[in-house]
Amino acid sequence: MSERHPNILASLTVWVRRHAAANALLIGVIALIFVFAYLNSQFLTTGNFRNILIQSACLAVVAVPMALLLISGNVDLSVGSVLALGGVVTGLLLNHGMAIVPAILIGIAAGTAVGVINGILVTVTTLSPVIVTLGALTAVRGLAETLAPKPVFNFPEGFVNLGDGEVLGVPYLALVAAAAFLIGAIVMARFPLGRHVYAIGVNPEAAFLSGIRVKRIVFLLFVVTGAAAAMAGTMLAARLGSAPSGSLGLGFELEVLTAVILGGVAFTGGRGKIFGVLLGVLFLGILQNGLTLQNVPAATALMIKGGTLIVAAWLDWVSVRSEGLATLLRGVGPKPEPEKAAIVIGEGGSSR
Amino acid sequence: MPLEVRGLTKAFGGELALDGVDLDIGAGEIHALLGPNGSGKSTLIGCLSGRLVPDRGSMAVGGKPVSRFTPRSALAAHTAVIYQHFSLAPTLSVADNVFLGSEHVRKGGLLDRRRQRAETQALLNRLGVDIDPRAPVSALSVGQKQLVEIAKALRHEPELLILDEPTAALGEAEARALGRQLIGLRNSGLSILYVTHLLGEVFEIADKVTVLRDGRVALRVDKQATDRGEILRAIAPAGGAHELSRSDAESPDGTPVLELRQFRAPGVGPIDLRVGKGEVVAVFGLLGSGRSELLEALYGLHGRTGGTVSLQGETFVPRSPSRSLRRGVALVPADRARQSVFADLPAIDNMLLPHLAAIGSPLWRSRRGETRTFTRTAEAMRLAPPVARAPARSYSGGNQQKLVVGRWLASLREIGLLLLDEPTQGIDIGARGDLYELVRGFAATNSRGVLFTSSDPDEVLALADRVLVIARGRLVAELRGSTVTAEAMLDQAHQQGEMAHV
Repeated sequence: MSERHPNILASLTVWVRRHAAANALLIGVIALIFVFAYLNSQFLTTGNFRNILIQSACLAVVAVPMALLLISGNVDLSVGSVLALGGVVTGLLLNHGMAIVPAILIGIAAGTAVGVINGILVTVTTLSPVIVTLGALTAVRGLAETLAPKPVFNFPEGFVNLGDGEVLGVPYLALVAAAAFLIGAIVMARFPLGRHVYAIGVNPEAAFLSGIRVKRIVFLLFVVTGAAAAMAGTMLAARLGSAPSGSLGLGFELEVLTAVILGGVAFTGGRGKIFGVLLGVLFLGILQNGLTLQNVPAATALMIKGGTLIVAAWLDWVSVRSEGLATLLRGVGPKPEPEKAAIVIGEGGSSR
Repeated sequence: MPLEVRGLTKAFGGELALDGVDLDIGAGEIHALLGPNGSGKSTLIGCLSGRLVPDRGSMAVGGKPVSRFTPRSALAAHTAVIYQHFSLAPTLSVADNVFLGSEHVRKGGLLDRRRQRAETQALLNRLGVDIDPRAPVSALSVGQKQLVEIAKALRHEPELLILDEPTAALGEAEARALGRQLIGLRNSGLSILYVTHLLGEVFEIADKVTVLRDGRVALRVDKQATDRGEILRAIAPAGGAHELSRSDAESPDGTPVLELRQFRAPGVGPIDLRVGKGEVVAVFGLLGSGRSELLEALYGLHGRTGGTVSLQGETFVPRSPSRSLRRGVALVPADRARQSVFADLPAIDNMLLPHLAAIGSPLWRSRRGETRTFTRTAEAMRLAPPVARAPARSYSGGNQQKLVVGRWLASLREIGLLLLDEPTQGIDIGARGDLYELVRGFAATNSRGVLFTSSDPDEVLALADRVLVIARGRLVAELRGSTVTAEAMLDQAHQQGEMAHV
């Protein structure tokens, strides 16, 4: 059977698949900005953008490692509680007179420890990551509440400054978030590790047989996610000026997952881009901010956010399934037909 | 006559899988269907069960010819098929499984489980087996599950029962027991079409034998009128002796690439074996002979191994793939889709994934270097299309296999020993030739070694310098030079592994 070379077709298909979800989201983010700018004169101000950045920063810091976990076919549901643990530990230490930097580092270390435990349970016992981290979600919240039965507040000024201070007009928190995205993007694009994470998500057994140390990498991702969640906790505590153990980061894990999946990362693993995650975080941040400015009740905002996630996931599914979204967006030309390309270079032998 | 097939023809993508096949099965006979891999057995069964639609020809069950079946009309025509892979729900009971989809219902819509249990018991009694209808299927042995499948098929009161390699997953005792039960069913008037690779089974239970080869009937004969040699020749008519490419050259100079002494691993051993520099050695065996287990154990997949392994003269303890790779041992596993291809990742990642750090550095990839390595390897392997960014999924089976073999041929770390488990599984003739050439070229340069398994005698003859026959985890024969024929290989493998399977 002759084998034709659909070079251009194949490349085009790959390009469209890779970028369809991110492009749709980019358009969504821009549209959102236009809509809110039209509705509310306060929206397009530097002060408000500063707010959006500060409010999105904690989400961003955790969304990046969570995206890597999802791409590798895992998930960490405990990040909301780990965030609380990080904030509470740092806050308690500060109130006991510890200096700011060591207090933050120990807070992050607490979250790292949770990550280590999650990672060991998932890789050694091969329990489902959903079960392991669901347990951790509950247990770690309990730990945080045990450590600080009452809200921790009254932090030193230097710490609170970290939450709303800025350098050259850019909030500190936004810088941290930017660093998280930069590191995530570089790791995924330029480190061998990045390709290994995709490979594990696509076919863990083949990855193992190719000599990739699958367990080591998955373990590492859980540790980094735990550390990042705790760091987000210290950031949130600094911003709010308090660390209420019972409510800090409550439901945060779902918000992170929303942003990551909105950004085109497949919940089933193997697919996703850090740039998409950036857009997902921005989209959620802008949406939340705009709805607040419009005095939309919190309950209504929840419904809108939930609906957005489902619509986004559906659009993503459409784009991957049939390239339908890509055609929709470009509004041009004949639909690329990846299935046909597959048949052209396919063969009967293996499917008999 | 329960089954009459006339001129059945079926093509896949221009290649004929069945080419005018005739088949007659009389009442109360056990008919064995044999043939090498890809000879059309599965396609034939697919047409009979209604899973596939034939292009031409007719089939008749009980005298009425039809041009095609659907799964439902096949059942209505009293044909029941039992596939290699079970279709049982493990958490349900035996009786629930037997009646799955055709439950007895009482007035009011409730299941009549008592009646189902009683009828299941009756079916099992007919088979002469002692299985509790209330037991969950997950608690049964493989052989018992097979019998539950048969009971489930009998529930539809078939005239013809088709079994696709029913003993492939069974131990020797269970396989013999199943044979007796099939003879019992035949004596009660049922016709049975039985796909197998086992000559021993054929002579024990079959009445008639049909051998398929390349989609045609190569042999149709009564069991009493044939012998083992005739059947083997029909399966693999390679004719006279075949000179292997490097005849009986003594294992060349100095230290061997691989040497095993009293090597043991789960399901394997003890084995003594030696792969010389530049040598391509075949391990020929039937399914379940331990051929895959041997390679997997050498790659470090089966935990502890016994005996000694020496690699280029130095001790080697296989522990894990990443460690084996560091010592220059690489494996291309048998199941491409499950174990080696990353379907959604681009071709370049599929080929270079283990080498990214070596091409660039552990913390920074060199994309230019990757593209260069990919282009060079793709060209050498005649990869089609040579598109770095096209997902592996869009490649044909043969080219996917090239990507996976290329993973180690493109290696920057020195691979000294390449283990290939069924290197040309499911790929077409042209791509096979390319791969053989690649593998031979690999072994010839830098005095490396290749150890590969195959269940296809033609492949062994095309690729190997030397042939070791494995059965039940042990090497039972070494064939070299002019003593190597397809018949000799099959004969050794069958004799020694009578109840093992291709």
